[in-house]
Amino acid sequence: MAFLQLKSLIKSFGPVRVVQEFNLDVARGEFVSLLGPSGCGKTTVLRMVAGFESPTSGQIIIDGADVTGLRPSQRNVGLVFQSYALFPNLTVAGNIAFGLKVARKPSDEIATRVKDMLKLIGLPDLGERYPFELSGGQQQRVALARALAVRPRVLLLDEPLSALDAKIRVSLRDQIRDIQRELGITTIFVTHDQEEALSISDRVVVMNKGRADQIGTPHEIYNKPKTEFVANFVGTLNAFTAVVTHAAKGTIKVNDTAITVPHLREMQLTNGAQVKLGLRPEALHVGKQPAPATNLPATVEDVHFLGSVIRLRVRLGDEVMSIDTFNRSTEKPPVIGGKTTISLNPTDLILIQ
Amino acid sequence: MKQGTFWSWVVFIAGAIYFFLPLIATFEFSMRARRGVYSFDAYRSVLADPQFRDTLSYSVVLALLTIVLGLAIVTPTAFWVRLKLPRLRPYIEFITLLPLVIPPIVIVFGYIRLYNTASYLPLTGSLRGTDFLLMCGYATLSLPYMYRAVDTGLRSIDLVTMTEAAQSLGASWTTIILRLVLPNVLVAILSGAFLTFAIVIGEYVLAALLNRPAFGPYMVWMGGNRAYEPAALAVIAFAITWACMGLIQLLTRFQKHTSKKR
Repeated sequence: MAFLQLKSLIKSFGPVRVVQEFNLDVARGEFVSLLGPSGCGKTTVLRMVAGFESPTSGQIIIDGADVTGLRPSQRNVGLVFQSYALFPNLTVAGNIAFGLKVARKPSDEIATRVKDMLKLIGLPDLGERYPFELSGGQQQRVALARALAVRPRVLLLDEPLSALDAKIRVSLRDQIRDIQRELGITTIFVTHDQEEALSISDRVVVMNKGRADQIGTPHEIYNKPKTEFVANFVGTLNAFTAVVTHAAKGTIKVNDTAITVPHLREMQLTNGAQVKLGLRPEALHVGKQPAPATNLPATVEDVHFLGSVIRLRVRLGDEVMSIDTFNRSTEKPPVIGGKTTISLNPTDLILIQ
Repeated sequence: MKQGTFWSWVVFIAGAIYFFLPLIATFEFSMRARRGVYSFDAYRSVLADPQFRDTLSYSVVLALLTIVLGLAIVTPTAFWVRLKLPRLRPYIEFITLLPLVIPPIVIVFGYIRLYNTASYLPLTGSLRGTDFLLMCGYATLSLPYMYRAVDTGLRSIDLVTMTEAAQSLGASWTTIILRLVLPNVLVAILSGAFLTFAIVIGEYVLAALLNRPAFGPYMVWMGGNRAYEPAALAVIAFAITWACMGLIQLLTRFQKHTSKKR
């Protein structure tokens, strides 16, 4: 049985329904990310799990016990905020010890736990500092230690990296994942940053308009998006329409070029139907490739140098597509306006439903 | 000297003369109790007066109790309004401003009418009961200052997130208020407490009409019956006020976490 269960959660603020029939099962020790744009309801779901919002209907079950009606202080759920929310009047050690003191733990146990936590977050010598004496990254690590010190059943992370600069964000996200793995704590991580979600999660829930559009591993979410929203929101997608010319064979026509897509055979399409297809920028290649690849003539419209990757915008008939190619120091990047051939493997085409 | 700096000095000196000249004149007058020479006779006389000590200590005790009562009422109210009922803020602010427009004499006559010896709650029937009434009256008079001071302090911290963080760590409302909110708005609370103290020490109407031996009525009585001692009393009252301000500054400096962010 799942350790954390969210059953048919609905949350309305007045006439506005911000979370609709949200269901999620999280296994013990699993790291699940709620990913979506601003206003999609991901933080509301997190706040319902924490107890700061009451669901309009639905159930929240932790380790078999229904906690829907419990106050936040009774749930034993750790929470880390975007704005750190450290207590400014307490030292780093005081912040970490706060929850333990509230729980009236013996002072020697508190001292040991604080020391362990400081070591865990890599700040063993900063216990006597005040929050204002720390950098943003250090403050967030202290906030994490404070949440973990009480040994919560579930750890909730509400965009904890959003206020940090890019480099620290990457190192702290890896550190969070390492700590989570080490402690084996069930974690829900809210973010609007797809790279963050894909890089550290066991599973990702892509949310749209209060619903879970797709729940899956990062690999599934990226490579097999189930909805147009997921396909567009996660990563960059070249979307285009094609006409089915031979449904039984899975043949479609794009700009007068026939392409046979094996996995379309199972989709029960009809001849003449229009289908929406997607292709990731890295699935397109510059230059001709042998069969079964399809080669298409194209014109380079724009070139963006991104360091390790060069992103091209090419025109194929009526469609404009993005292509990501690796930067090789020995090769010159394509020139704007140049004619080229683009190749794609039909198995990389994603049918958008 | 730049034109701006020159005028700044002119304004500063004019302000200093406006504030300090009457004080210096009062001090100078208070030293003239002995003919022909300056002396501290008036101060000696005031300090030796048992009524001075009694009334001042009575008012100080009552001021401290009023501060505790005021804080007990204002802090949870301001906290709750900021946290859960922000829409009520204008109404609460209006209510807290009422003591500025309702004269103390109205309040005290209301008290006497409601809590006289013939009422269901005859607080005026005993000395402690009357003291309690007086304290409530003082708390009412200091409400506009205390509320604003605490509310300003609460505005300077991220109250909602801090409260939620504490709740998720298992803290109760009492713990949150006592261990997190109060220490973080300590300077604001001290400002409110100081204003309350100043109001209570100098207040006359409530104490006189409830017939309690407070410092305000004593100062009025002294002003009507002596020559140099009232001036000495005024200087002493100023000294007490300034000592309070100094204490606030000192405590603010010792409060480490109020240091500027890097």
